[in-house]
Amino acid sequence: MKALAFHPTKCTGCLRCELMCSYTQTGQFQPAKSVIRVAPLEGYTSYAPYTCTQCAEGWCMTACPVGAITITAAGAKDVVDDKCVGCKLCTIACPYGTMFYDVDTRKAYKCNLCGGAPACADACPTQAITFEDVPADDWIGSFAAERTVRILALDEAAAAGAR
Amino acid sequence: MATRHLIIGAGTAGLNCIRTIREEEAEPSEITLVSGERPYSRMVLPYYLGETISESHVFTATPASLAAWKVKPLIGRRAARLDPAAGAVTLDDGATVEFDDCLIATGSRAVKAPIPGADGPGVHCFWTLDEARAVIAGITPGSRVVMVGAGFIAFTILNAILARGASLTIVEVAPRILPRMVDATCAGIVESWLAKNSVAARTGATVTSIEQVKGQRKLSFAAGAPLVADVVIMATGIRPNLEWLEGSGVEMSTAPGGGILVDDHLRSNHPRVYAAGDVARGRNVVTGLPEVHAIEPTAQEHGRVVGANMAGRDVAHRGSLVMNIVEVCHLDVASFGQWEDPAAEVYTAERVGRSQYRKLLFHGGRLTGAVICGPAADVWTTNDVGMLKGLVQSGVDLSAWKAHLRANPFDVKPAFLATRTVSRLLPQTILGRPSNSPQLPQSVVVK
Repeated sequence: MKALAFHPTKCTGCLRCELMCSYTQTGQFQPAKSVIRVAPLEGYTSYAPYTCTQCAEGWCMTACPVGAITITAAGAKDVVDDKCVGCKLCTIACPYGTMFYDVDTRKAYKCNLCGGAPACADACPTQAITFEDVPADDWIGSFAAERTVRILALDEAAAAGAR
Repeated sequence: MATRHLIIGAGTAGLNCIRTIREEEAEPSEITLVSGERPYSRMVLPYYLGETISESHVFTATPASLAAWKVKPLIGRRAARLDPAAGAVTLDDGATVEFDDCLIATGSRAVKAPIPGADGPGVHCFWTLDEARAVIAGITPGSRVVMVGAGFIAFTILNAILARGASLTIVEVAPRILPRMVDATCAGIVESWLAKNSVAARTGATVTSIEQVKGQRKLSFAAGAPLVADVVIMATGIRPNLEWLEGSGVEMSTAPGGGILVDDHLRSNHPRVYAAGDVARGRNVVTGLPEVHAIEPTAQEHGRVVGANMAGRDVAHRGSLVMNIVEVCHLDVASFGQWEDPAAEVYTAERVGRSQYRKLLFHGGRLTGAVICGPAADVWTTNDVGMLKGLVQSGVDLSAWKAHLRANPFDVKPAFLATRTVSRLLPQTILGRPSNSPQLPQSVVVK
């Protein structure tokens, strides 16, 4: 089964993925509604795209009290709009912070791999996002660790100064 | 002869158990379901009250789906007596059901505070479908509703009451609202938000009586002016349905919260009797201690673990995380884990005027609890809710990030990512395998 893979060293922070994601998911060019999120790191000098890993447990899916989250043919956990009541239980059950809630429709929504042709991967001009036959992985953790070292050093210095 | 499973209770724990038995079993078994009510989700009753879903939407299993699952339903019957040694349950109509193993998942019921007049007409609980129907029939546009109790359950139906065009006053005996879900600072933010949305909250108020006056309800207080209401909703607590087990020999806790004592397989002191959900004193994943959570996700996890074990697997439960979320007039309020802990190191931050609040509780490098509050329209609130859950659930070491989080408790995401929390979470599953889609298992072939 194909999955989204992220290669943060290639990400320029252009946010085309967020723009296309929001358009595909909600019909609006509105990055605030995107379910892929580009994380700015090290004072906006590095960027890493982040979204649902389609994890094995499917915490959102098993938590849903009305069975509104199902597994699609593309292998994605997806919210069935007609069944979702908007109770937000999935948003606290998901430990990855990748469940979203649309205040306009009052439904939860999430990355559904766009039915097998993810718009984010298509939109990425640098191949920082690819759609490949790979297992779920922590694609950006090590990158984030490396690109937050200076921020943490500043925090430590500030804390030492305060003492 | 096929194994005979008896499931007592058709709530979240019971139905998840049934589904998991069907997913896991190698040999087809017999499943009998005893339930006083048709299976429905209590979680979604507030949306029925708010008229965003129809009544049919609340049902979690229909006669047809139970038939497809090859479940023998005894709906409208309640278990009255359990004899674990004989492997038999006596029902309220005198019938006996024999079992090889059984699940006690009888859940909780709402209890009214012992206030004179609380049993009168127009004074409702909101817990069961029947109670929901009565409240729905009672509230029309312009109705004056008084809610007694300002806990989680009360807040889940607040939006719905307003959506029906009623005016609402909340009355709470404790000095503040949401006393068992968030801390005082967060409660203050929510109270201000409510005031802006024309919901009055009267805290530290003890109701002394509810009288019927000319078809209306008059609530008197130990101090202050009385209130007149068309409808009174009593959200004054829940109690587990355990009385019927008296004399069964099933061991219960005498500690606060009570509940059936279970091992990490959710087995009671009788090896063929399991307990799950609101009646089970299961493991808390943060503290490792046994306690009753009485929340939906814990019932779901318990039910699935029991189902797998009943089907012959050997699944130990790591424990469940206490968590709650409620949206109040588009303000999200959530808490996780041990959010009230005098022994913890606590970092808080509030953005005054924006109704945003974070509270992070640490033991060493480990985040053991959190409170979060913010407007639902603010996308970061929702994302942070999930990441805080991930940090508490995974127990990842945040030592290197504590100075940063102390300075800015709102900046959770870099800490979440850089501590590789995702890689710690990915292998975690409740049943040691990927979960299935919630549709019916495709291969139920019981003869």
